[in-house]
Amino acid sequence: MELVILLAMNGLFWGLIVALIALGLSIIFGLLDIINVAHGDFFMVGAVLAWTIIQHVDNFWLAFFIVPLVGLLLGAVVERIVMRPIENSASLSIVAAFGLSLIIQESVRATFGATPKRILDPIGVTVPFFDTSYDVYRFVAAFISVVAIGAFFLFLHKTKFGTWMRAVRQNREMAVAMGVPSNIVFMVTFGLGTGLAMLGGVVAAPITSVEFRLGLDVLPICFIAVIIGGLGNLPGTAAAAVLLCFMEGVVTSFTEPTTARIVSLVLMSVVLLLRPEGIFAERKR
Amino acid sequence: MNSRHSNFSFCSFTSLFFRYGYILVASLLVLLPLQLADYQQIFVAEIFIWGLFALSFSLVYGYGGMLSFAQAVFFGFGCWGFNVGTFYFDFSIWGSLVCAFLAATVFAVPIGFFATRVRQHHFLIVTVIVSVLVVMILASGHYRWIAGPYVTRSLPSAPEIPFGFFSLSYANELVAYYFTATMVSLGVFLAYRLISSPFGKSLLALKDNAMRAQLVGLNVNFLRWMMFVAAAGIAGYSGALYALLARYTNLEFFHWTYSGKAVIWSVIGGVQSIFGPFLGTAFYMITNEYLSRYFEQFIVLFGVLMLIILRFAPDGIWGIATRFFRLRG
Repeated sequence: MELVILLAMNGLFWGLIVALIALGLSIIFGLLDIINVAHGDFFMVGAVLAWTIIQHVDNFWLAFFIVPLVGLLLGAVVERIVMRPIENSASLSIVAAFGLSLIIQESVRATFGATPKRILDPIGVTVPFFDTSYDVYRFVAAFISVVAIGAFFLFLHKTKFGTWMRAVRQNREMAVAMGVPSNIVFMVTFGLGTGLAMLGGVVAAPITSVEFRLGLDVLPICFIAVIIGGLGNLPGTAAAAVLLCFMEGVVTSFTEPTTARIVSLVLMSVVLLLRPEGIFAERKR
Repeated sequence: MNSRHSNFSFCSFTSLFFRYGYILVASLLVLLPLQLADYQQIFVAEIFIWGLFALSFSLVYGYGGMLSFAQAVFFGFGCWGFNVGTFYFDFSIWGSLVCAFLAATVFAVPIGFFATRVRQHHFLIVTVIVSVLVVMILASGHYRWIAGPYVTRSLPSAPEIPFGFFSLSYANELVAYYFTATMVSLGVFLAYRLISSPFGKSLLALKDNAMRAQLVGLNVNFLRWMMFVAAAGIAGYSGALYALLARYTNLEFFHWTYSGKAVIWSVIGGVQSIFGPFLGTAFYMITNEYLSRYFEQFIVLFGVLMLIILRFAPDGIWGIATRFFRLRG
């Protein structure tokens, strides 16, 4: 029973981080119609940057402020230089994102090195939990993720720019006619998505090991979350990510991890075939 | 924009090439190994095989319009099928090649059935997830009964190719080269027949405008499914040729990063063409051979090159070459 609760909590906290990353993937898809294959690599860059900041400044908390800003800038630049010229072709943009992911991975390998590195737990305090002890940092990580997700939704629904983003998504021509600067909205959206992924990287860095292939494992989970939640459906994506990782945690306590992942993949296939617009979508017809 | 026009003359160039140019290419391929050292002959043969693999991706993406990241799975199942044929059924090389083709095709039928039924964007995600799933199942010790010990088996010694009353050994590099070149040409010929058949033409129609193709009376899902399966068969065939030549098979061939390599090769070479993928593969492998000594992360350069090609010449090196020749008259 203790194991179940422990793994479920791990799953829940990991799910909140994944929700952060998947949200970025989802807004980029919803607005720009790009399946960003490089998204996992942005997550990896976040973790690597956090490691670099610790090496130079020896202050982990600084990373929480710097890295998302770097992500915002990086994403905006990438959107402008790489994605804008081929925005009319969805499949070309996916291939371009794949090229981008290669560039990111190999440049990180060239500079950061190929060996995995660990970040020490920045809090270093554990609480007793049944027979074992549990890192306080995981609670903090979950808290930060929740705050970031909340802030993102506030931004989307309460600010002028968020309204613009939703407007461009609903009807781009009409929004442009109303004076919404859609090009800037696209750049900022891609930047926000990237920033969320990189923030996720910082939050996850002390929990996982930091290496240049980190993104390869996260990307499929985010894909599943985005599909189950419904492509472009933001609250659905976040909920699906948390639910999925929680469920995987619980299933892992009964069987081995491969079977747990297979269960979630099968679940995804079923959702995809029966309700391609996601389980949280309203029935339209 | 200008795709219709360039497509037209591109087709006529291709048909002209196929009428006369194949003699040129064939004689080049026959004469080439005489100028090469032994290890270079094997290297060129490897380029042919990976080029065929890239071509199978081009069939799915360039002609079928489906961005598939599951090609590597079928390459891997080709290796696996070859091993099953050789070690389990004790077939000769011919039987094992057929076995590899069948293995890839059989696995592609259910995967393709589900993957081609979902919307365009979901297709990529489904193929990525399928390959992750396959790798995970094969890697975990709990599901060994599915693939048996045949994923990582390799031939113990250079294989003999039986031709009835005599046989040739792969230990001779020239034999390996010519045999691989012949078998790859066979694959290329099959692919060419496929895309120039009414089936291939209707796929192109479907890629340009799925709605219109449906209204004309084409069964969109079925056509996509069949193309997916056919391309998977060719990928599996190339996997078997690789297992034969390199005498090495591994789980890594199933991973979607290998499909990514096929994407790089065929995008750089030219997606909607027969020879483009081979050009892209040759370019990549030769650059790899010479650049990686000085600059290990040369793949960064390929990423940049890919972005530039996507931006300025989406039809790749082959497209640039055909345009160049057209300008010359």
